[in-house]
Amino acid sequence: TAMEGFVDFTNRCQGRDQLFRATQYTCMLLSYLIEHKAGKEKLVMKLKQLESNMSSGRKMFRLGNMVHALVAARRTTQLPDVVPRFCLTASNLTRALYFICDAVLWLKSAGLQPDIDKLKWRNRATKCYYLSLLINLARDWYEISWRLEQAIREEKTKENSSWDKHSQKLHHVKCDGLHSFLLLLFQILKRNPPLLLDLVKNLCDLSGPLDTLGIYKTNPGVIGFCGILSSLVGIFTLANPCLKLKQ
Amino acid sequence: METWVRFSAQSQAKERLFRAAQYACALAGDTLRRNGASAGVLASVQQLEAHLSLGRKLLRLGSSAEALEAAKRAIHLSDMVLRFCVTLSHLNRAMYFACDNVLWAGKTGLVPRVDQEKWSQRSFRYYLFALVVNLSRDAYEIQILMEREASGKRTKGSENGRQLRADNGLQQLGLRLQIQLRLLIRVLRNNPPLLLDVVKNACDLFIPLDKLGLYKTNPGFVGLCGLTSSILSILTILHPWLKLKP
Repeated sequence: TAMEGFVDFTNRCQGRDQLFRATQYTCMLLSYLIEHKAGKEKLVMKLKQLESNMSSGRKMFRLGNMVHALVAARRTTQLPDVVPRFCLTASNLTRALYFICDAVLWLKSAGLQPDIDKLKWRNRATKCYYLSLLINLARDWYEISWRLEQAIREEKTKENSSWDKHSQKLHHVKCDGLHSFLLLLFQILKRNPPLLLDLVKNLCDLSGPLDTLGIYKTNPGVIGFCGILSSLVGIFTLANPCLKLKQ
Repeated sequence: METWVRFSAQSQAKERLFRAAQYACALAGDTLRRNGASAGVLASVQQLEAHLSLGRKLLRLGSSAEALEAAKRAIHLSDMVLRFCVTLSHLNRAMYFACDNVLWAGKTGLVPRVDQEKWSQRSFRYYLFALVVNLSRDAYEIQILMEREASGKRTKGSENGRQLRADNGLQQLGLRLQIQLRLLIRVLRNNPPLLLDVVKNACDLFIPLDKLGLYKTNPGFVGLCGLTSSILSILTILHPWLKLKP
């Protein structure tokens, strides 16, 4: 039943966290959209309050996650392939650093250590998170590139075998380099939903740090929308564990 | 470290840790106040406690559904008394969580004009009733086990003939009480899950009793009770065999 499914899902800490994250970014998007409309000030204030409450609550739940990240890093040092091993271990270690900075920020917001420089630590946390996202994207790119090479090799062997049958195939492969590359990329991503989902999630998560660090400033609406999308992907992968990219 | 990861991946486990921390703050705040700590330290301890409490309320946002699911499962229990007690307890917990959600909405400003005092009293009333039902279920289990022990002893033959030789009514009563008490201790010692559940519910009982004004103690004692019951509950998560079934 639906309620059983909901209970099973939220019983795992990650499920609840993704739901709260989706709500947090929805509030961000909504408050951006209706901010300048007349007569909506109270609603905007409520949305901002809900967003900040969700954010600080989630910070509290993340308090033990640096250990999770370190254990995951230890596990990924056992991977057979060199590039995923390096990328995932590095990504987990930077995530552990991010969680440590996050815990320091929580100490400040809980009032335990009032003389913490919030901006400095937030900057540090964002940099760690940004670095881990870039490393994740590098890993995604590695996965795509070896599959691309494999697909091109397959095309070449097919073209060699059917050389005497039709030479049109040769034309088809070589005519528009970028076009065929994009088509191949699209095919690879379609055949590998976990890889596609991971790529989408990492790209969407990138919008937040890019804005905070001033590298590519957008607006809270874009960040909110990307955040909702990445949370939905996260919820989807949690509900269907077979769609999670193998680590 | 692996145990930590497995432990805290469960939503309930982290919630219990935060509960333990919250009541530890209450206890620490009271102790510090008695020993004349500065107002700044007291304020920061109280702020931490409020922070933990609000965070826990956020984490409990879906718990009504969980409690209703558990109540639905409990209806299929075979023993009638157990079925009644466990279902009723879960239903009361579902109502407690619903009131708690209303309190959260009020505290975060989502719903204006929430009478914090009224809804707080309501939630504690449901909590108290759930604890009373839990304790009566424990009493029922104890009674069954004691009867079983007593009948087991009777078939083996009574070892102390003292039972049959009592001079007057009061001595007879005293002896009987002594035998019952020894039986109770033996039953509880042979059933750690039951003992743990009794102690946990008894400790938890003091919290709503204090908050509703039925039996006022002091904040330090309430904090100690809450901390003890949270630690026991963490023990049952770490060692699932210690959890009372169902």
